[in-house]
Amino acid sequence: MRLGMVIDLDRCIGCRSCAVACKSHNAQPPGTWWNRVFTPGASFHQAAVGKDGALQMESLPVSCQMCDNPACQKVCPSGATYTDEQGVVLIDYERCIGCRYCIAACPYGVRQYNWEDPKKAKERVGYEKGYEYGYPEDFRDKDGRLVFTPNRPVGVVEKCTFCAQYTSQGEEPACVRGCPGKVRLFGDLDDPNSEVSKLIKKRQPIRLKEELGTSPKVFYLAPAKPIR
Amino acid sequence: MKKSNLILGLAGVLILISLIAWGYQINKGLIVTNMRNPFSWGLYIATFAFFVGVAAGGLIISSSVYLFNIEKLKPFTRIASLSAFASILGAGAMIFPDMGRVDRVWNIFVYPNFKSPLVWDVVVISAYLLITFLSVYVQLLPDWKKEGRGFLNGWTKSHPQEYVEAFSKKWSKRVALVGLPVAILIHTVTALIFATQESRGWWNTAVLPPDFVSVAIASGTAFVLVIALLAVGKDQFEQYKEAFQRMALIVAGALVVHFFFVSVDLLIHGWWGSPEGKEVLSLIFSHYGFLYGTELLLPAFTMVFFLTKKGKNSFNALIIGSLLLFIGVFAHRLMLMYPAFNSIPLTLAIPGAGIESWAYPVAIGQLQEGVPVFVSSWAYTPSLVEYAVALLPFGLLVFVVTLALKMYNYVPQK
Ligand code: SF4
Ligand code: SF4
Repeated sequence: MRLGMVIDLDRCIGCRSCAVACKSHNAQPPGTWWNRVFTPGASFHQAAVGKDGALQMESLPVSCQMCDNPACQKVCPSGATYTDEQGVVLIDYERCIGCRYCIAACPYGVRQYNWEDPKKAKERVGYEKGYEYGYPEDFRDKDGRLVFTPNRPVGVVEKCTFCAQYTSQGEEPACVRGCPGKVRLFGDLDDPNSEVSKLIKKRQPIRLKEELGTSPKVFYLAPAKPIR
Repeated sequence: MKKSNLILGLAGVLILISLIAWGYQINKGLIVTNMRNPFSWGLYIATFAFFVGVAAGGLIISSSVYLFNIEKLKPFTRIASLSAFASILGAGAMIFPDMGRVDRVWNIFVYPNFKSPLVWDVVVISAYLLITFLSVYVQLLPDWKKEGRGFLNGWTKSHPQEYVEAFSKKWSKRVALVGLPVAILIHTVTALIFATQESRGWWNTAVLPPDFVSVAIASGTAFVLVIALLAVGKDQFEQYKEAFQRMALIVAGALVVHFFFVSVDLLIHGWWGSPEGKEVLSLIFSHYGFLYGTELLLPAFTMVFFLTKKGKNSFNALIIGSLLLFIGVFAHRLMLMYPAFNSIPLTLAIPGAGIESWAYPVAIGQLQEGVPVFVSSWAYTPSLVEYAVALLPFGLLVFVVTLALKMYNYVPQK
């Protein structure tokens, strides 16, 4: 099984619901965003770009691309970053030594560091006292490695896990469920009959920075809005 | 005697300041640095790379004595080994404060990932630490025997002085010869940490490892030169002048090679004219022009200066040339970081809008009034805490060198 995702950019309205769902389900500390949505070319989101009076405004959601050839995993000195049997790249929060080599290595800017203790950060920025958001329990993989915990230890790196706490139960990731436009499809790339595999065959998907040879398992269907 | 106590005290203060700052950083997290997600390595890694470079000198000097029979340099093999040991100790120490979870670094040894260049570096740096230590040790054995002191040398008691002398001679040579490839490796592997990363155009070039070696030969030899000059003093300058000139020549020669590498590297970054290449060039020549100028001009001056009569004929000239070189090399190490992190890997072309290169913003990892949450470049300057913590290797190096020079004799009398 190789879990993967298809993102249909034709349908994306740039509402950032997926980013918010991701942020709260995965209890991300203030300032940390596993999932981002931006308007390519614009200096801020939802600003049109263009020339000669012809404006355009697309949206591009980016989170961990779940590379089949993950630079982050190869550089990780302690084996904290690893790929599980479903092809999902994960970080063991109890193994990471906080060297940040993976942040330098990842071409997609998705890896983020706990520069301060998340609990202290929440307090400092004034989140309501006692308000805890996100999946409330630790989640360990079948070998007992800690890949989710509501308040991450200070000094470790984190990123998208394809919602390991849900997908291991056969549920879909929070971004897939939370998207009002049904932009995201999630499934097994090894199964030729899965919806994702069929779409990848039918439409010509693109992958980000394909020239780097990272072999992402996140595929994008290019926007094909009839502009003519 | 008095003077060395003063220096030891100063070095102790430096170490103390850095340890206090480090303690503060452990307590608060790396938030007290000015590094953030888009710019995740800074002064610490640059300082580390600087000390790795300086550590080369030792074994290059001692092994060239044996390999190329440069007898003139012979009096300084002890100083060379000592300086190498002290610098690699400093480099190793600098790595720890950069780790967010220094309490878990042992994970590298328990679960090493041998694909990671960082693991290769841990291996070669530990090996170099051991080799340089052994090199100092075997060279001091005869003196220790004579004077009846030293440490880890109980076994020499049952041997005659001649035996210990012969042993020391034989093993100094062996250690130096084994050490030379390791000295080359520490620079190669340290450079490979960066050069392997295809995501960062500024690093991803095969010229980086050989260039690291050439800079290391220059700065490492200059470092031995400075310590040798200080240990010998102005009075005995004339006596060892030829050795100093030889070292200055090695420095200048290595810099010639370095500038050759720099030129081909710049040419290749620029020639194709891709947006990535243009961005890197504009970062180094306009945005970080001052730092890059420092990196180029100071070593260039030293190179030319050391080739002239004036530059290599006096105590002061050699010291000044070397110090300018160190500043230039430090700028070189900082400039590893700026162009690499401030050109964001995920850039896209949006042809419909006539945009060739647009950087996808990165979350900085902190929510702070007046600071954007997502940025496409991060104006990094080290924080006060970072400067304080980065004193650690400087303090250690000065302390170890001064203490060793004070305790034992490093310049054999003729
Ligand atoms: S996108 Fe980055 S973090 Fe995710 S697998 Fe690829 S290299 Fe690793
Ligand atoms: S920061 Fe953690 S996950 Fe990243 S490379 Fe270092 S040890 Fe591995």
